[in-house]
Amino acid sequence: MAEIKAPMGGKVIKVSVKVGDSIAEDDEVAVLEAMKMEMPILSEEDGTVAEVKVEAGQTVEAEQVLVVLN
Amino acid sequence: MAGVPVTTREKIEDLKRRDGQAQLGGGPERIEAQHAKGKMTARERVQALLDKDTFEEFDRFVVHRCTDFGMERQKIPGDGVVTGHGRINGRQVFVFSQDFTVFGGSLSGTFGEKVVKVMDLAVKAGAPIIGLNDSGGARIQEGVVSLGSYGEIFRRNVLSSGVVPQISAILGPCAGGAVYSPAITDFIFMVDQTSYMHITGPAVIKTVTGEEVTSETLGGAKVHNNKSGVAQFMAANDEECLEMIRTLLSYLPSNWEEKPPDKHVGDPASRTAPELDDFIPDNPKTPYNMKKLIKTVVDADSFFEVSKGWGKNMITAFARLGGMVVGIVANNPMHLAGCLDIDASRKCARFVRFCDAFNIPVVTFVDVPGFLPGIQQEYGGIICHGSKVIYAYCEATVPLITLITRKAYGGAYDVMGSKHHGADINFAYPTAEIAVMGPEGAVNIVFRKELDKAADKAATYQELVSEYRAKFASPYRAAELGYIDEIILPSQTRGKLIRALEALKNKRTFRPVRRHGNVPL
Repeated sequence: MAEIKAPMGGKVIKVSVKVGDSIAEDDEVAVLEAMKMEMPILSEEDGTVAEVKVEAGQTVEAEQVLVVLN
Repeated sequence: MAGVPVTTREKIEDLKRRDGQAQLGGGPERIEAQHAKGKMTARERVQALLDKDTFEEFDRFVVHRCTDFGMERQKIPGDGVVTGHGRINGRQVFVFSQDFTVFGGSLSGTFGEKVVKVMDLAVKAGAPIIGLNDSGGARIQEGVVSLGSYGEIFRRNVLSSGVVPQISAILGPCAGGAVYSPAITDFIFMVDQTSYMHITGPAVIKTVTGEEVTSETLGGAKVHNNKSGVAQFMAANDEECLEMIRTLLSYLPSNWEEKPPDKHVGDPASRTAPELDDFIPDNPKTPYNMKKLIKTVVDADSFFEVSKGWGKNMITAFARLGGMVVGIVANNPMHLAGCLDIDASRKCARFVRFCDAFNIPVVTFVDVPGFLPGIQQEYGGIICHGSKVIYAYCEATVPLITLITRKAYGGAYDVMGSKHHGADINFAYPTAEIAVMGPEGAVNIVFRKELDKAADKAATYQELVSEYRAKFASPYRAAELGYIDEIILPSQTRGKLIRALEALKNKRTFRPVRRHGNVPL
């Protein structure tokens, strides 16, 4: 189990994966908007998406879990 | 063993025998144990670090003077550290290499004297000093003598700072007081899995706070390269680490009075990069790969990144432009939007100060939306850490060239090598946005009353944002004021930077006389 967290507070503008997707390291799992910038959130490892904890439009805090990988 | 040598021939043979014995350090068994851990011995490391057959050793027969705890019966020539000098890519360096096979590389009074001797010589000779650390710490049997030796080394680290480059590699344990010598040096290299640095070890932590950790998770190479920022470079093994030190030195002068070594690789200054004219995305919110931009601009294969894993929203690297060594500082829009936070500020400030100490011009690529807002940042002292960046740029006397690629907002505009902080030549791309704040925020403040009165708030807001963007989110206001010297085509970045560096080659700046400034540490 690996958790992919928000590196900083901001708004989720896109969720790029769904439960069951298999993803590789550096694949985009979501896009966050903060500080006038959109930032792709990339996976740090290979895995299968077990849980998506946020949806587009939602505001998140730094370190909040966005996606859980198996 | 033969008797006391009498003839010259016997004396020569005796010396050879003694030399051979000293070469063995702690003996074959301990050497084997060292190899089993995937580590090289102290002497193998020196040989791998230096050019072939250039090592000249000092103090091979030094032994300790301790007579307590039965130590008088255990003496090993060299006493746990190999010291001397040699060459790296033909250039003089001094080196000490701690020998873990001899008393665990522990530091005695005589061990300290050997280290101090090469440190003093390095300063006199104006050559870099490289310390290869692999030591269990103080030699307990020697008591306060060992502590005194550490102190003598620390003081020399401080007095040599900014005189000659000081490089540390951590190739095994480095714990307790021993960490402070590397910490004062300019750069720390660590090897993944076989090295660690911490002030108090897992055993002490468990006793005092009850927390259970391993040396690796407490102070391994990944921790100090990615979390604490204590180390600047991580290698997979000893060989790679030593090779990286050789590469780093290729960018550095031997001492503060020298210029860094030029090296021409046949990459013409006139080379343009047409792809860069399409590089910055149309949408100002879309990130792009700043490292790729920098690598396109600098000389082929000349990008050597410093502190790659820590404060990733800031890029620091050595590179060459038209053969000339430069220190590159850049915001990285791919991480935390490229904002300035505590780690990025500390990383940038220390790097700029190193460059300034050693005559290395600083080229700054700016794309910064501002300082990172947040309680943790304020509690962590971003005011103090952010001011280090200001301090570093303002006190620098080396050539300073700044290029704004996109965002330069608010205080962060000032901080990142602005004209006002002493930059010599300031460029901007036509995509630059130089303003006190972003259009969205500015409109909310400046036009609050108009927005309150507006019939269609959303439409009025969008209209005002577009108006503000057109008027202020560009480089032209700053260019009208002379804060930007030239707005350049991205495709021509390389040539512009090289000609600016050439123009500033003999830059002289004078500062008021004082004892020293008071950098906000």
